Amino acid sequence: MAVVLRTERLTKRFDRLTAVQDLDLEVGEGEVFGFLGPNGAGKTTTLRLLCALIAPTSGTAEVAGFRLGREDERIRASVGILTEQPGLYERQSAQDNLLFFAALFGLSPAVARAQTERYLRLMGLWDRRAEAVATFSRGMKQKMAIARAAIHEPRIIFLDEPTTGLDPDAARTVREFIAQIRGEGRTVFLCTHNLDEADRLCDRIAFFRRTVIRIDTPARLRAELYGHATEFRIIPSPRPDHLVKVQEVEGVKGAHFENGSIIVSSADPLLVNPRIVRALVGAGAEVAYVSDRKASLEDVYLKIVEGT
Amino acid sequence: MRAVCVREWRESLGNRLLVGMTILPPLVILAAGIAAVATAALVPPSEKDVAALYAASPAVAGLDPKDAVQGLIATYFLILFMLIPTVVPLTIAIYSVIGEKSARTLEPLLAAPVRVGELLLAKSLASAIPAVIVTWLAYGIYLGAVGILGSAAAVHAVTAPRWILAILVMVPLLTLLSVNLGILISTRVNDVRVAQQIGGLVVVPVVGIGILQVTGRVVLNNESFVGTAIFLLVCDALVFFLARIAFQRENILSRWR
Repeated sequence: MAVVLRTERLTKRFDRLTAVQDLDLEVGEGEVFGFLGPNGAGKTTTLRLLCALIAPTSGTAEVAGFRLGREDERIRASVGILTEQPGLYERQSAQDNLLFFAALFGLSPAVARAQTERYLRLMGLWDRRAEAVATFSRGMKQKMAIARAAIHEPRIIFLDEPTTGLDPDAARTVREFIAQIRGEGRTVFLCTHNLDEADRLCDRIAFFRRTVIRIDTPARLRAELYGHATEFRIIPSPRPDHLVKVQEVEGVKGAHFENGSIIVSSADPLLVNPRIVRALVGAGAEVAYVSDRKASLEDVYLKIVEGT
Repeated sequence: MRAVCVREWRESLGNRLLVGMTILPPLVILAAGIAAVATAALVPPSEKDVAALYAASPAVAGLDPKDAVQGLIATYFLILFMLIPTVVPLTIAIYSVIGEKSARTLEPLLAAPVRVGELLLAKSLASAIPAVIVTWLAYGIYLGAVGILGSAAAVHAVTAPRWILAILVMVPLLTLLSVNLGILISTRVNDVRVAQQIGGLVVVPVVGIGILQVTGRVVLNNESFVGTAIFLLVCDALVFFLARIAFQRENILSRWR
């Protein structure tokens, strides 16, 4: 996979405040890259840096094959950005908003019209193209802003919290749009707080707080953090000697109480779980059920980001 | 630049308050000017008025009193015409920048592959062009009205080469000064009314020159016109330079509030 975005020790300081420090990233073509971090972590500043909206204090970056600081205008022509606020011209129609930005990105009038129609249809807004944006709901405005970010077919689209405040239907449209962009071989750089969304959409995820703390696929992050975990529900509740028996079973890596259950992690659940059930029954435990326990990305996020 | 200008004009035309504030000052000045010239043509001046007039403007001494009064009134209103390029574009420019700030439309705009200088120029032109056209149009109507209603002296006064040059040269210079001042102020404040109050100071020198002319303390001749034009040119360059500094991509995104 060709690298479409690369940063080396990218740093941004505002007076005494360091917003981004020594950021090293590589993002591939056609990848959906999740960028996760708490509020104030510097995500928006990073997006602005990578879209050549603000200049780095130090470090280098190459975006869509162009060098940051030297070819900023070409970078801006090659990327699209959905900002935190939709920032649309409310008195103007949906169509006029998109036509204006298409013109700014140098699209000919004929191409601009075709692209406007394509994206308004894609976002389900074609029937309301002539209406002033001021009459649109929050979700419709957000979809308009996404269409605007994509109107010139950029190689990389930066999306800052694209589904925040959207109803489930609008959020699904946005997720389908991201999947389509990815299917076209374009890159999506997704800043989000929606961990479920990141888990479903992203090929890789970076946990970020001023700098990258960790990058990996969602599946590997979960597995590495907890291994294969299994929940053993015992009624009325597990006793300390049950936990001791479980810990003594061969192949068990770790076990702990959690809400009336014993959570066990092991390298090979298929082999180890039957042994655990036998040990628990032998110790007089009433095993109500055994279920596979998947660590959520939220658990991973909290452990990695909050732990730093 | 064309796209930005067209969008700005569409936005302005959709704002009734802005359209009203753009059209009203020229209409008032024009109506008052025509009414004054017509009144002077219909009502002969008193002896006291004529004596005061000759004392204030020795240049018209010896002319027929009615002609002299009409000529002077016609000229005074030309000075007031110079207020149009200071008031009209200021309002448009302030709405243009503060409107974008409050609607948070600047970031998507700056994310496009346009140079900030081009953007500033496009915004300046979008505010300046209507103001210059409105002033020239008002001047044209005024000329026609003075030609119909006024005396030969009044027609002579308003068609004097220095006034035609003033309208052609100083109106665009004053307009640009007002526009860039409006943009500069708008980078610092978020309230249209506050920006207008601060920007309104630009009319003070024009009104001051008018008062000095009326009281006979200053005679507007060719030399003073050239001097004023050069002064305006320097002011234009300075204010544009300051606006250009304030209108930097990073400043707009990081420091403008």
